[in-house]
This record gives sequence, C-alpha cells and structure tokens, in this order.
Amino acid sequence: MSFEAKNEAGYTVVSMDETRLDASISEPFRIYLFDQIDSGSNQVVIDLGSVRFMDSSGLGVLVATLKKMAGQGVLKLAAPQPAVLDLFNLTSMNKLFTITPTVTEAIEG
Amino acid sequence: MTDDQGQALRLEIDSELTNTTLIAMAIRGLCAMTALSPVEVNRVELCVVEIVNNAIEHAYGCEKGHRVEVVVHLARSALTVTVNDWGQPVARSKLEPVSLSVDQDDPALWLSSGRGLPIVHSLMDSVLYQRDGDKNSFVMCKRIKA
Repeated sequence: MSFEAKNEAGYTVVSMDETRLDASISEPFRIYLFDQIDSGSNQVVIDLGSVRFMDSSGLGVLVATLKKMAGQGVLKLAAPQPAVLDLFNLTSMNKLFTITPTVTEAIEG
Repeated sequence: MTDDQGQALRLEIDSELTNTTLIAMAIRGLCAMTALSPVEVNRVELCVVEIVNNAIEHAYGCEKGHRVEVVVHLARSALTVTVNDWGQPVARSKLEPVSLSVDQDDPALWLSSGRGLPIVHSLMDSVLYQRDGDKNSFVMCKRIKA
C-alpha cells in the first residue's frame, strides 16, 4: 500500500494508490494520517479519487482522524466515487465531513 | 438466468483480511448476472465484506489459518449470502439493529468502529445469525426486483 502527502496552497493533500480503503489497509492509513497531523498538518484534504470501495473500517479511520483534529484544524474529503459517497450518506457521515467533488474545490473552498 | 430453484456457489478463504477482496470480486461477478442495479451491487458487496471481515476479526481474532466459507444462492427473485465461520460467536447484544444517525455537536459520540452490522441491517432485506454446534452462520438476503 502506498500513501502520499503533498502541500498545495497551505493544505496537506493526502492521496493513496489504492482502489479499496478497507480493513486490510485501514490501520496503516490511520497511522499515516495521524503522523501527518502530529507533524503539524492542520489543514488536510484527503483525495479519495482513486478509491472505488470503502468499508466501515475505512470510514472509521476518517472519523478517528476528524476526532484527532478536535476542531483545531480543517479536514476535507475530496473526489469520492459513487459507492464511497453512498456509504457516507447511508451512515450520516456526510453531516460530519466537508466533502467536495474535486481536490481543487477543497483547497479553494 | 436462474430458475426458481436457483443456483448455488460455495467459496472459501483463509482468515486474512487481504483475502476478503477475493470474495468481494466474486460477489460482484455473480451480481452482474442479476437485475440488481449498480448501486445495489455496490451495497451487496459492502455487506458481504463487512460480514466476512467480522468473521476474520472477531470470530478468529485476526488469526490466520482458519476457514471462512461463503455460500451464495442465486434465484430469480433473491440473492442469499451465507457467511460461515467456526470461531467465537457474536454476542447477541451486538446483533441488535442500531441507528446510524449521528449527533454533529457531540464528537464523543462519533464512533470510529462498530458500524459494520448496522450497515448490513440497513441495506439487506433480511438478516439472520445462527449458531449450529461450533459453526456460526450469518445469512443475509437481498430481493431482486424484476
């Protein structure tokens, strides 16, 4: 599994070279995200564009990251595919997260 | 397509989370033979992944070397998926349907786990859990509209 972070206009944009954000990679992804925050990133965009499938474990990582930021930063989710967006809507998590169609909109919004 | 009696397929993986994808891909392939919509196929895949992962994580404690069996029964009017394991049973209290609603104003209530079974309850038309001897079976059914 591979995750990547780059800086764009003051945001840390995290992306992954994975089509499935599921229980098999959720813990390494959580550690990666927490490391980014512990390293000082407080404006984070997670680019979900490559993720075709997400399960409750993947969703749990995003919730844990949001809680870790504890209102002291910004976390946005960008470019979710239909099945991923459906999961957010089904679980009401769309109410907790700022979700944008593209990374650019997340940064400029 | 299938007749009223339907057709059945039995799949088996070793208890590793990376193997769940194999089951997911097989389920997607089978769903492609049905009249389920793309959204419904995604949801069935999600439910099966949740229950297979549940067996690996909770019945077997993420220990490799155990059997997870998935039996798919495909009929004209319904898709039934049974996930069998021979590990620790699920506590009855965890099988009760719970709400997926969230309180936006109280981060302490934002759960980072425990949504798998509620998701399955909300998406499948019927859900049944049973234990027979040392075998745990989670049976879920999705109706197929013509």
